[in-house]
Amino acid sequence: MSDRLYKIQLPVYLTALFIILSVVEHFFPMPGVVTNFNVTMRSFVTVVSAAAFMLGIIFLTISHAKTITEQKSGWYYNLFYIAALLITIAFGLMGVRNESFLFIYDNMTAPIGAALYSLTAFYITSAAFRVFRARNWNAAILLVCGFIVLTMLIPIGAILLPPVVPIGEWLRSFPSSAGFRGMIMGTSLGVMGLAVRVLTGRQKDHLGIREERMGGE
Amino acid sequence: MSIVIAGRTLGLLALVVIVGSILYYMQQAYSGKIPNLRRLQAVDAIEEIMGRCVEMGRPAWYLMDNTNMTSPSVLAPTVAAFQILAYTARMAARLGATFFVPVTQGLAYSIANDIVEEAYKAEGKPEDFDPLGTVMYLPDGADRMYIINNLWSQKVAGVFFLGSWYHKAVIFTEAAASVGALTLGGTDTTHNIPFLVAICDYSIIGEELYALGAYVSQDPTQTSSLAGQDIGKYIALILILVGSILATVGFDISGMFAW
Repeated sequence: MSDRLYKIQLPVYLTALFIILSVVEHFFPMPGVVTNFNVTMRSFVTVVSAAAFMLGIIFLTISHAKTITEQKSGWYYNLFYIAALLITIAFGLMGVRNESFLFIYDNMTAPIGAALYSLTAFYITSAAFRVFRARNWNAAILLVCGFIVLTMLIPIGAILLPPVVPIGEWLRSFPSSAGFRGMIMGTSLGVMGLAVRVLTGRQKDHLGIREERMGGE
Repeated sequence: MSIVIAGRTLGLLALVVIVGSILYYMQQAYSGKIPNLRRLQAVDAIEEIMGRCVEMGRPAWYLMDNTNMTSPSVLAPTVAAFQILAYTARMAARLGATFFVPVTQGLAYSIANDIVEEAYKAEGKPEDFDPLGTVMYLPDGADRMYIINNLWSQKVAGVFFLGSWYHKAVIFTEAAASVGALTLGGTDTTHNIPFLVAICDYSIIGEELYALGAYVSQDPTQTSSLAGQDIGKYIALILILVGSILATVGFDISGMFAW
């Protein structure tokens, strides 16, 4: 069989088959064997992801090891990566409930993740100062609505200004939900369009395949 | 036993009509009848941002946030972001702007690298493409510090925030706005659209991202698929109008769609 069949056509056919099976299972009552097959295929996603993760670790380690052996600038950071990786793997292999492994997770991984995520709090504050300026009518409406909803959400807000509660609830339940639903509809239709393109083999980017298309700039 | 699972017939009908419309328009496009797309203001914004970067002698950055293409909800905006990347990279190469694309996912990195390299070759400036510096892989997590720090140190003049954006939308757009960069933002992740719209100088909302991708790529598959999706929108509009009228006059239709 040709290289193209293996690398392009077969993955496209398999993708189309799994899309059809998932759609059919959602709308029509199917025998247990089809449902079980779909469940097994979905669990393959986890298996394939884990395999890809292993590959990533191997290549990243090779890249870091190369930097260390060539003594490039900042090589000690690469050494730190390899040491952290080996120590974590060693404790992880003893069991995910191992105390030392849990110590690393609870006291290093989780706080680092939380610290990175918490950056959002600082930036959202300065963003609020930037955005909430009544430069024009649109910005003024945003400012007033933002003030009402924020005041409603803070614990003391409802006590200081009781009318903000019904107005804020109305803003969230009607104009805000209506806008969001419109956006969700547009996005969902876009995903349906993508599914059709993938199903018909017109879009292969998810397989890492880019083919020259008609037109273009 | 019914043929269709109870309560899902209407969904199946909608699916058949919308998919049928998309396939019909795709077929029309391949026979030469490509639907026209309205020119979005964002197309001019891309040129303006890139021109500003060249005039100021500062870099332009193209950020995509989540590019995990194994997730269907991320794949659609990422594909659109790639199409816009191809257009933007060609413009950067043509105008001689310093262009930088950090990517946090392996598969997306290799695709982005190919796109940008092809763009520089297409403009006859392959020597301006730096294989190690134009498109760079940054591990997710470490990217925050790298991007914030370099936005400041390089005094970036223009930043594009396109694709599937999550909480990093606030961090990066605010950092870019603080250094005075001209920004274009667009995502289809509904909870982050407000941040991009509020902070960025130019923004595209939700599915406009797909439309911009289709417009700049002039790809008949994408363009025709958008025309098919519009049929879905018209159906939704009609159903919303009819539903609103019936609900206003007190006619309960909730039990009618249990089949």
